Amino acid sequence: MQIQYKPKRGLLATIFQAEILQGMALTLKRLFSKPITRQYPEEKPQIRTGFRGQHALVRDPKTGKSKCVGCMRCAMVCPSRCIRIRSHKDKEPGSRRVIDDYQIESLRCVYCGYCEEVCPVNAIVLTEFYEYGSYDRRSLYFTMEQLLGNWDRFAAQLDRPVEEYVNPFWRPRGLPEQTLPAPKRLPVSPEWSGEQQVVGRKWRQHHGPEQS
Amino acid sequence: MTPPLKQTLEIPVADGEAERYSLRMGPQHPATHGVLRVDLELDGETIIECKPQVGYLHRGFEKLAENRTYSQALILTDRLDYIAAMANNVGYCLAVEKLLAISVPLRAQYIRTLVCEMSRLCSHLLWLATHALDIGAMTVFLYCFREREILLDLFEELCGARLTFSYPRIGGVRQDVTSYFIDELQRFLDIFPSRIAEYETLIDTNRIWLKRTVGVGVVSGDQALALGLTGACLRGSGVDYDLRKHQPYDAYDQVEFEVPLGSDGDIYARYRCRMEEMHQSVHIIQQCIDQLPPGPIIGLDAPDLVMPNKVPARIEAGSSTYGTGLIRLIRDRDLYLSGDIYVATEVPKGELGFYFISDGNNRPYRMHIRSPSFIHIGALATIAKGEMLADLIANIGSLDVVLGESDR
Repeated sequence: MQIQYKPKRGLLATIFQAEILQGMALTLKRLFSKPITRQYPEEKPQIRTGFRGQHALVRDPKTGKSKCVGCMRCAMVCPSRCIRIRSHKDKEPGSRRVIDDYQIESLRCVYCGYCEEVCPVNAIVLTEFYEYGSYDRRSLYFTMEQLLGNWDRFAAQLDRPVEEYVNPFWRPRGLPEQTLPAPKRLPVSPEWSGEQQVVGRKWRQHHGPEQS
Repeated sequence: MTPPLKQTLEIPVADGEAERYSLRMGPQHPATHGVLRVDLELDGETIIECKPQVGYLHRGFEKLAENRTYSQALILTDRLDYIAAMANNVGYCLAVEKLLAISVPLRAQYIRTLVCEMSRLCSHLLWLATHALDIGAMTVFLYCFREREILLDLFEELCGARLTFSYPRIGGVRQDVTSYFIDELQRFLDIFPSRIAEYETLIDTNRIWLKRTVGVGVVSGDQALALGLTGACLRGSGVDYDLRKHQPYDAYDQVEFEVPLGSDGDIYARYRCRMEEMHQSVHIIQQCIDQLPPGPIIGLDAPDLVMPNKVPARIEAGSSTYGTGLIRLIRDRDLYLSGDIYVATEVPKGELGFYFISDGNNRPYRMHIRSPSFIHIGALATIAKGEMLADLIANIGSLDVVLGESDR
């Protein structure tokens, strides 16, 4: 497709600067419409569910501790290698792994969300909280207590009960349930779980309603 | 007290008449779109010699990728061309999928095409905004950012990030689209053509814009091919080369679109090409929404994130549905084939190619990125020679370079 350009300008349009006046009229029109600028620190943008912000370790409401089982999947998958986990196992048989410390160096993190996606028990989450800049590096090197505190702070400002909060990376949208480990099979809407998918208008016309 | 230093300034005079001097432009110059340094040799205001210098943003991605698995190296491609990260991600995934012989479900292909075109709109909007600002049109800058904000909000809804998406996955995509996302995107598509008309009203026939762009930075078709230009810079010179059309990947062979071609090869021709591409992108996104098929969003044989050498968990879990034959097939197959491969995709800036050498390991032995920006910066030396200093700014803007991609 050949593009068309270099539009010819008439003599009158040249003399009266018609194209500049048109542009001016457009900008003048914007003067009377609602401003689109957001006055950021006073006016907060609406953050969507699943925004990858500050890290947190989910506090189990039953035990009051972290849900982490120390499987090291998150530390293994992390592309920037910013997760450090220390754990030990008691001598007596049948005892569970105990997490001593769970550290995240948030300055190295690239916020890809792989950790929360591979976690089999939904213990780690990137919350929707994003304003945590600091003047020193020390406070951005999260220890386990800080990470649990991050979750408490996030849960407190949540507008719905914490039990109902589901992060889209815990249970990826559209993945069939049978491919996920049991703790990740959280109750979600049929659109989220992939049972009811958004299908194009033309596809439906072509293939009929019974298949979609 | 020491006596004041006596210093005589030696002004080099060439041919007795004009004043020849050298000028370092950048790397902190706002009009170089990042950290590009250009060493200039000037005769008055005319450029005699132009040497672009790159490397201020070098992070060594090609080396970093050698120590990461294929899934982990995906996040590095976000930081190449950070304006259209989705297109880079898709290009990377396509290359790895071809290397590992993984198939992608149809629905994932359509979603990928859709997000690729959305990121093309993002990139072209930011290009128009900054290019117009460089030349002196301030209003267009603000108008373009208004529409780009809507697109970034949509990306946030889809994958939880506004700039570094890491959304496609080797063998599919990470999250399915929601009806909210599709509805919002449809609303955007309905208003966007009128917004393009607004930009055109502002600058298309503006006499200052025409004076700065028509006949400036002319590259003929043969010259553009010799310099290795791709994308809108090549099509502005009238060469019909678009990988989406001539080497279709994902769902590009399922949708109809046209490749806009210029003829003069000047800045104005490249500007018109990109404006037409925006119209075509809207057209492609509309078709993707209309034809979106149901189905899985990730292939069954896609490698696992954590243990890429093992059979993916989703196959083990779904074995009752898919039968044990598939598991045996994948267990027997080398998950990672050795060999080398080059896969190129059409990103907003031009042709982005990934070259892999694999030795059968789960991480690339060598990854090379053929980035359009690097080659376009190289072409700047030829294009800007003999032109005025002020036109260099217009030329840099028109070649649409991103230093993150050039230096990688």
